[in-house]
Amino acid sequence: MTDSCSSVSKLLEKYFDREVTDKERLLVESHLQSCLTCRDTLMSMEGLRTFIKAPVEEAVQQEDFPWVWQKIDREIRSQEKGSWWQSLRSWMGLSPLFKKKVWIPAVATIATLLFISTQVIFKKIPSYSERSVVEYIESETYNIMVYESEKTKTTMIWLFDEEDQESSRS
Amino acid sequence: MKRIFLILLFVFPLSLLSASLSYGQVQVRLRVFEASNVGTRIDSSLKDMRDQFKPLVDFSSYRLLKEETPTLYLNQSVSSPAHPGRKIELTLIRQHKNVADVRVKIQREEIDVLNTQVRLSPGRTISIGGPKHGEGVIIITLSAQF
Repeated sequence: MTDSCSSVSKLLEKYFDREVTDKERLLVESHLQSCLTCRDTLMSMEGLRTFIKAPVEEAVQQEDFPWVWQKIDREIRSQEKGSWWQSLRSWMGLSPLFKKKVWIPAVATIATLLFISTQVIFKKIPSYSERSVVEYIESETYNIMVYESEKTKTTMIWLFDEEDQESSRS
Repeated sequence: MKRIFLILLFVFPLSLLSASLSYGQVQVRLRVFEASNVGTRIDSSLKDMRDQFKPLVDFSSYRLLKEETPTLYLNQSVSSPAHPGRKIELTLIRQHKNVADVRVKIQREEIDVLNTQVRLSPGRTISIGGPKHGEGVIIITLSAQF
């Protein structure tokens, strides 16, 4: 190994990885023509790469990359989305309609209306029976009879005088 | 856009309010007529009554004395003079969908001739009859217009 070898050997790895400049490449190549030691070093690097490459490629073929990619893609999307609350806030911030002056009274009104509606909807509703058309009946002066005809949907409340009853009895 | 939103903000509660108001009111048809077996005169507006009464009581003559269509509001009484010398008072007690509970009071000189609560539904007629009037009887019919 000559003196120039020590300077070239520093570039040799970069040359092997094709990371040298044109000037460095010319320097290394002219040196390699005259230096057997450096050529051997370069060849051993290539041998090492071949030695590593085959098992790595084999491992890569066995690996389930689509699944890995899906996982990465999901992660990227979830980071892009942000939380629903952030989305809502940004949307409200963007829309002039939903400035605080408008949406606070709007939300308060909607909440009040919902409260009133639920009171009306869920109010205990009495069961209505079609049969009992007359809930109650009383009279201080008459006797009463109730006739019902479901056919004609007629209910008749008939008031009888005492005289009527007397005459009907006799 | 902002204007439309504000209009909707005011219109929606108003519509809800009007809906709730109409829920507690009902228009009724009140008819007072004389039915008798003297003659065969049937007023044209009472022809339907004759068909309804026939299975119960059959009269040959129906003469309309009075017809009204007052609107009843929840727990508010509506009074109307009824022939002869009587007063009929109607009060809407409850309303649910197409069913209305109405309290009917007939008074004569502050005496309760009749005090009852009836349930009005579409197509149903409540008739109150019996007090003598002339040769026949007075009949009061009540139906709701939903």
